[in-house]
Amino acid sequence: MDDSYVNEILAQYRADPYGYVDSHTIHTGSINFYVKKDEKVEGVSGEWRHISGTKLYSLHREGNDKPVFSRSSGIVSSIRTDLEGKFVEAGEKVITIRYPLKKREIIEKILRRVLVPFKAPERAKYFFSLDIQSRIDKFGHRSVAVKPGDEILTMSLMKRDTPIYYQGEPGIIHSVYFQPGITMEQDEPLIGICPAEKLPVIQKVINRVKAEWE
Amino acid sequence: MEDLRKKLLTCEERLTYLSHIKAGDEWGNIAGLRENLLTLRDSFYDLAPEKITTKVKSLEEGLHFLETRCEENLTPMERVRIVRSPLRFSLKDILENVYEDYTELGGAEETNIDPSMVAAKANILRRAKNKNFTQQVMVIGQEKGHGEEYRNGGSCKPWGNEKALRYMQVAQTEGIPIHFYIFTPGSFPIEDYPGAAQQIARNIYTMTKLRVPLISMISEGGSGGAEAIGLSDFRLMCSHGYYSVISPEGAAAIEGKIREGGKVPAELIESCAERLHITARDNLKLGTIDRIIEENPLGAKHDDFSFFKKLRYEVMRATDEVVLKTKSLRAFRAYELKLEKSGESVMDEPQIDISWDLNEDEIKRLLQRRSKKYRQMAKDSYGGRTANLTSFMQRLKNNTSKAYYSFRYDILRSQQKQVKQVIKDVSGESSVFFKQLTAPFSAAYDFIIRKTDGKNVKLPVSGGYGDALEFGDTYTSPLANEDRTVTCPNSEKYGCKDLWVPDLYGEFCGVCENCGHHFPLEYQWYLKHLLDRNSIREFNRTISAGNPLSSPGFEKRLQEAIRKTKRHSAIITLEARVMGVEIVIAMLYSNFRNGTVGAAEGEKFAQACEKAKLKRRPFLAYIHTTGGIRIQEGTLGVVQMPKCTMAVREYVDSGGLYIVVYDNNSYAGPVASFLGCSHYQFAIRSSRIGFAGPRVIRETTGSDIPPDYHSARNALKRGHIQGIWDRRDFRRNLHKALHTMGGRNLYYR
Amino acid sequence: MKEKVLIANRGEIAIRIAEACQSLGLDFVLVYTGADEDSEHVRRYLDSKSNKNRAWRISNYTDPNDILSVADYTKCTAIHPGYGFFSEDFRFARRVTIRNRPLTFIGPKWEVIKDLGDKINTKRVANKLGIPTIPGTDAPIYNEIEAEAIAENILEKQEIQGIAEPSVLVKAAAGGGGMGIEEVLQPEQFRRVYRQIQNYAKRQFGDGGVLIEQCLRDYNHLEVQLVCSRHNERVYFGTRNCTIQSTGRQKRVEAAPGFDSSCFSYDFDPDDVLNKIVQYSLKLADHVKYDNVGTWEWIVARDGSPYLLEVNTRIQVENDVSARISYLKKKHPNLIREQIRLALGDKMGYSQKKIKFKGACIELRVVAEDTRRGFQPWIGTISRFDFPRHDWSAVYTHVPFDRPYVIPSDYDPNLALAIVWGADVDEAKERGRRFLNEVVIEGENGKGEPILTNIPYLKDNIDNLLRF
Repeated sequence: MDDSYVNEILAQYRADPYGYVDSHTIHTGSINFYVKKDEKVEGVSGEWRHISGTKLYSLHREGNDKPVFSRSSGIVSSIRTDLEGKFVEAGEKVITIRYPLKKREIIEKILRRVLVPFKAPERAKYFFSLDIQSRIDKFGHRSVAVKPGDEILTMSLMKRDTPIYYQGEPGIIHSVYFQPGITMEQDEPLIGICPAEKLPVIQKVINRVKAEWE
Repeated sequence: MEDLRKKLLTCEERLTYLSHIKAGDEWGNIAGLRENLLTLRDSFYDLAPEKITTKVKSLEEGLHFLETRCEENLTPMERVRIVRSPLRFSLKDILENVYEDYTELGGAEETNIDPSMVAAKANILRRAKNKNFTQQVMVIGQEKGHGEEYRNGGSCKPWGNEKALRYMQVAQTEGIPIHFYIFTPGSFPIEDYPGAAQQIARNIYTMTKLRVPLISMISEGGSGGAEAIGLSDFRLMCSHGYYSVISPEGAAAIEGKIREGGKVPAELIESCAERLHITARDNLKLGTIDRIIEENPLGAKHDDFSFFKKLRYEVMRATDEVVLKTKSLRAFRAYELKLEKSGESVMDEPQIDISWDLNEDEIKRLLQRRSKKYRQMAKDSYGGRTANLTSFMQRLKNNTSKAYYSFRYDILRSQQKQVKQVIKDVSGESSVFFKQLTAPFSAAYDFIIRKTDGKNVKLPVSGGYGDALEFGDTYTSPLANEDRTVTCPNSEKYGCKDLWVPDLYGEFCGVCENCGHHFPLEYQWYLKHLLDRNSIREFNRTISAGNPLSSPGFEKRLQEAIRKTKRHSAIITLEARVMGVEIVIAMLYSNFRNGTVGAAEGEKFAQACEKAKLKRRPFLAYIHTTGGIRIQEGTLGVVQMPKCTMAVREYVDSGGLYIVVYDNNSYAGPVASFLGCSHYQFAIRSSRIGFAGPRVIRETTGSDIPPDYHSARNALKRGHIQGIWDRRDFRRNLHKALHTMGGRNLYYR
Repeated sequence: MKEKVLIANRGEIAIRIAEACQSLGLDFVLVYTGADEDSEHVRRYLDSKSNKNRAWRISNYTDPNDILSVADYTKCTAIHPGYGFFSEDFRFARRVTIRNRPLTFIGPKWEVIKDLGDKINTKRVANKLGIPTIPGTDAPIYNEIEAEAIAENILEKQEIQGIAEPSVLVKAAAGGGGMGIEEVLQPEQFRRVYRQIQNYAKRQFGDGGVLIEQCLRDYNHLEVQLVCSRHNERVYFGTRNCTIQSTGRQKRVEAAPGFDSSCFSYDFDPDDVLNKIVQYSLKLADHVKYDNVGTWEWIVARDGSPYLLEVNTRIQVENDVSARISYLKKKHPNLIREQIRLALGDKMGYSQKKIKFKGACIELRVVAEDTRRGFQPWIGTISRFDFPRHDWSAVYTHVPFDRPYVIPSDYDPNLALAIVWGADVDEAKERGRRFLNEVVIEGENGKGEPILTNIPYLKDNIDNLLRF
């Protein structure tokens, strides 16, 4: 990968150095907001991510007032205050949080274009295979190497679980793009694999961003 | 000149010490004296020697005056500060000055499994008839050091306490007395194996029947940490020391409901220290110690050699007393007489040659005396005990019962005919010995046979307050009576749906159907679902928690708990059946003062152990919740730890089966003693078990803990418990446990 | 008070219920999930621009809380669970009925769902009433010796009956869905299998209870359609035969009536057997005071002996198969409409005598699946979809005809139910074949491969209907 390419991407992020997180209602209920537009909110924190962030809103349903907390720190960039006190459906976009991108995220976004993606064969839910998951739990995913033929994922489709075998260049699982149990579109990358010989290139990109991004 | 300089330096030291005790210069004329001292020091070489002499002298006089006033009106909190002073004598000072010679075991200074716990083999010198003898003892105690960081202020890690236990056992093997020196603000509250609470429990459990004389001396006795090496045949306490259920600061934070990180007002700490009855004199009055060793005014420091001499005399005398009492009372009287004769020279060692070796019979008596000593502790600190006459009847009944149960299960277990034959054979012998043995046997045998014939012989079951706990045919938790839903705490992780309360607390038994998380349920639920229908007989219902230290305001809160729960203590003891197996149960429950243990709870627990032992029933401690020792009862609460552990130990040794099941929250003292010592500990899912709560851990160790630090799962991982039970399987698992675990002497074996 | 029904289901049944409500003049509300946004059951009733929309987006069809909160917000007075999802969940039915704002559960009362939902309990009650069930235990067995005696007894009886390969099934009592079941052919094997199942049950369900019953091989699977009211009225709408099933007991072809002499020469009098199972079904329904629609499932052995299998306390997918051989005042009844009406408290308004049975009917379930690879679901986009229209056929589907449709991966890939009927079984079969030939389904998946459906499989199986 040449420098000009990296330059181009970096310039792009310099122009809009923000990430946006939408908060959709997880279920139905009447909504009450606890933040205002442009208000600063805190994300999850604590060594074990055990301290919840700012309370964004609550959904009252069947006698249960469920608070929803911000997952990331940033600014409330849009909010559906018109819904205050009203009954909302599930999956309604109610708040968007804007936050300055962190180095790690920029790197992740660039790497997404560099790493070998392993794409979703179908629109389905995916899970790591038991063996890979236990290795990830133990050593972290960057220490898990995969080679063609390994059973790496379980595809959950139509109430059936199908094992997915890895095909492509061998390497380590550098990035994970899916969340277990969340439906992924077909051909979306599920994981980014880094072949051993590419590691120095990737390290170079990382160093570059680390040096240039503040 | 040099001499004067030294005097001035000493004055400065004394002044600093005084201001340390008074926590500042505000009291008396400390500030004035300090000013004088500073001017004197600054102008030391400008003034004439005579002038300095007078000034130093007046300074010394002023100091002496203040020190005397201070000593006369020492508050409990000031004693705490004396004990915490880096100038105070430490265990190393004792080892060097009280004992002739010593070898440190299991570590040296910083190179140590735990530098806050020191064990040493030591010789103590005894002079008799102008000859010198040395006697070996094992010395075990916390080492606070004089400010060294690695000593951790005498706050032992779990493995430090484990080390102490190891050397106790060495002493037992060698048959030498142990001298314990307690210098701890409390144990270091971490759960890493062997675990703060679990290790203390193991220590106490072992000490209850350690076959050598145990002498302890308390300088700083901080609750659980102190008990880890505190159970002994004779407890000495330094006059300026403290022995407390909790640090005064900790008590004040609870009392004042101070938020974490918030400042606790000094006056509140002061008054809490007062209320906790932590001084030597208080403890002597409460019967939690046996004798006080007088210290120098404002406490003994590391260089007060006269104190060490006195200490040597006191520990020797205490050891002699313990040993002699196992031999005969007459020997002990003679010893005391001799001591009296030596008159004023009490400070000298007793010039008597007494061997500290014990033979089998003496060891037996030693253990009996120890058992009795702890059984009696805090006897007057609870209410509602049975009147004298009834208790006499109770004893009578117990004695008959004992014979009944030993026949029922020892003899009748084998074929009745065979038994008859054996008794006949034995009776045939003309030996007096055999006659004595068989006479009561035959009588009791007849008694039982008559009973089994179905004649109207009433079974000797403990009486009184029968069916108070019976419910109707169906029991549904009152929590279920609400049309609303709740969120499972694991919903984010496992995608659990909100649970409808009537389903959750009804059919689901408070368990999330998706992830298995257990929501807390009231203790009544367990009575209903664990035990056979109509099998519950509660006993000792009237023994009631009191306010033995007259802690201000506590009476009202106690009455509130009684009104709310319609019970008199935080423990329920009962007899019941689990799938046909008769068991004795002690249940600490949350609604009454958060399941804390005081004198009443301890007494009921000990009596439950005794009942289980007598009737040869398995014994279950179901801990719905316990918040620890009830701090308002001070050290009367603390001594419930050894007291109940003693009862447990005697029950287990008699061949019983002691099972502990933790639910919800179980913390502190009880876990660190009579619960944690069980060989069979289980936890209900989603419960938490530990020594100290997160806040205390943060405040004492300075580091935060993960949210699941005390979870049952982690307790299992660390080896503290033996298994985790689903609430819905409790009954079945318990029944299985009753049949597969422990207990050679249970009635159904 | 005017009733308003919340339809707590998706796909074709949601549409059928909605239409039934409309025909009864009842207001109704639908729910849907994000994955179903393009389904016909949503599109037809969604008018997101106005506030009068009838379809509400919820998180999940299986979340009772969302369903009830929408019901409360839209002021519904009743809930129709359809089939699957909450239809046989007695807890849901109970909650709906006993909550602070109670709703009518369109189905049997929850106590009945609970009692008949427990197969062991159903068997016990049936035995008590003299209704035949599969020979074996009707309570969990924990004792090995007792179990062995029962197994030997069952094997012996089969031998006396001259059954070729006598065998028994050993099942974990707490199990279900085919887990923890083993077959035993030789008495000597029994102990080993028993212990194996018992250990499995102990490990898996915490209860070592085991059921033992005769293993039936050569049989037909029949269903009796009952319709009952809250006023102690009970009628039946004939029998169905669903012997042809895919793996995993998914029905693909079903026919009514249950037997027909033109298809096979039975060893028994088919009308007599059908009448027997109807009468037995009614007897059990009377006993439990059954009060809505339900299906009694039966096994009929080659010699004609019937055994009650279980009771489905809901409206079944195949209800219309029964309706198309039944006539009320010379018209086909609509059983979903009847179900709603009766659940809301109506009286039946007719007696068994008024129900006339005539002709035969076949249901064909069109599913996107690979029948040769274990009925594996097929995923992709349907580009063209059309069915022939005849006065002897009906089609129930949620797949739109006018636009491409992506099959959602969260649910079963059912595309349509096709019902064909005729004057007799032969005519129905003939029409079924014709119908299948006229169906148009086109589409492809992500790899560009054309759609796979079970239509060839359906064609092959029409001939096998109502046979042993």
